[in-house]
Amino acid sequence: MTADDRSRAASGPCSGEDAPAISLSKINKNFPGPNGERLEVLRDIDLSVGDQAIVALLGASGAGKSTLLNIIAGIVKPDSGRVCICGAPNDELNDWCAASYMFQDERLLPWRTAIKNVEFALEAASTPKAERVRRSADALRLVGLNGFESAFPYQLSGGMRSRVALARSLVTEPKILLMDEPFSRLDAQTRGLMHRELLRIHEMKRMTVVFVTHDVEEAVLLADEVAVMSPRPGTIREIVPIAPSRPRDPIEPQVASYIRRLRGLI
Amino acid sequence: MAEMIEQRALQPPVRRAFRIGLIAERLLLVAVLCALWWLLSLSAAPYVLPGPQRVWSAIGVIASHGDLWQNLAITFWRVGVGFIVAALVGLPLGIVLGANRRAGEFFEPVLPVLNTVSSAIWAIFAIIWFGISNATTIFVVFMTAMPLIITNVWQGTRAVNADFIELARVLRMPDWKIMMKIYLPTILPYFFSGARLAFGFGWRVSLVAETIGSSSGVGYRLRQAADLVRTDQVFAWTLTLVLLMAVLEMGVLSPLERHLFRWKKEAEA
Repeated sequence: MTADDRSRAASGPCSGEDAPAISLSKINKNFPGPNGERLEVLRDIDLSVGDQAIVALLGASGAGKSTLLNIIAGIVKPDSGRVCICGAPNDELNDWCAASYMFQDERLLPWRTAIKNVEFALEAASTPKAERVRRSADALRLVGLNGFESAFPYQLSGGMRSRVALARSLVTEPKILLMDEPFSRLDAQTRGLMHRELLRIHEMKRMTVVFVTHDVEEAVLLADEVAVMSPRPGTIREIVPIAPSRPRDPIEPQVASYIRRLRGLI
Repeated sequence: MAEMIEQRALQPPVRRAFRIGLIAERLLLVAVLCALWWLLSLSAAPYVLPGPQRVWSAIGVIASHGDLWQNLAITFWRVGVGFIVAALVGLPLGIVLGANRRAGEFFEPVLPVLNTVSSAIWAIFAIIWFGISNATTIFVVFMTAMPLIITNVWQGTRAVNADFIELARVLRMPDWKIMMKIYLPTILPYFFSGARLAFGFGWRVSLVAETIGSSSGVGYRLRQAADLVRTDQVFAWTLTLVLLMAVLEMGVLSPLERHLFRWKKEAEA
């Protein structure tokens, strides 16, 4: 029996049909430290993300929030615990509940035009060329980049590159969108624009979104629920539902009080 | 959408007026060099330094009985074969050495050693092994070009961005597609500059090989003309070769490179 089998057996099966979009139970993860010691990155994480919800993983750096996102994405394996995506283990490929991952940087291939960069996401599976082009053009239109299909990344501004990366994450029609501090490199104004874009697209596509951030305001403006994480070992200290309806304005007293409260928590 | 105004200039960076000026400048340079050559030739015997008119008529002579084209073609063919074989061997070998750390470390000293071996030495070995034949010249071109291509491709594999590999893995892309879609495009500029270098070297060493190990080709004709003290013909062969290389460089290689790597920011401008 491998360690992998053991962890799965210990945590039981995923719950099947009407399960939440993402469900984590008893996730533990250690990394080897610089002097050979064991660093406890995540301890006993339980988290459930409802279908179509937007959830923020908020915490200071070192709280293990990116590691947690990578575990949900299946990029990092947990030492123990159970990860279920739409009621199935996340190491099984399930086409009916695909997840997309958006990196902290745009990560566009410099030798590809905008539309070819979006197509890249469809090239892993052997989607026919014509369908690839059509869907990629649609995705670029969705993020407001029609007319820039044949521009190379160096010809685009930071905000536009971010839009291409968003289009690449959306072109596969994911049920779940995982984002690792996706807009943190943009200037404040462009970031605000991208927030509105994300919410507009979420209204249309109704995908489940989990994003990592260390920006309290970003978490409060976007999320239905904010999971506040504390470091060493990484745990979820509290899950705060954000009641006011979107779009939210940070100077609205009710929104501002959430921001103050969360600032006190991290 | 208002923020779309933030777009950068998407028009091609080449300015027409500038290019025409450049062509005029180049023509002027050629005229100056020819004038200088003519002046010098006035004070030297024709067998030491023939003047431009004399060389021009020599070109006419060798071109008129098909000699010029025949020998250019045979030399070009030999260089081409040696170069293509070098590319076919060098590209996969470079990738393997770059992808496999242990193999790379083990073979690392071989390349600088190969690069320091003079092509005259390869030519002598080639004559011992292949005699007076096409294979002699092809071998010399191959031995000169291959290490250059391997070295460059190897460097290219080191430039592959680990973040792009991660992106492809998250998209569950199979390994062979990662090879085709991430590795190859990254390596291509390195391969191209290596191939260009190798092709130039190949031309030069092919002449060395042909002067000692061949009974045809430009190199053979050059030596023949020199033996007969037909300095005007030596100049004629040299000049046509230089012209041919310039046309190839400016007419084919440069535009091809500009097209292939148009995604790069114009840093040199």
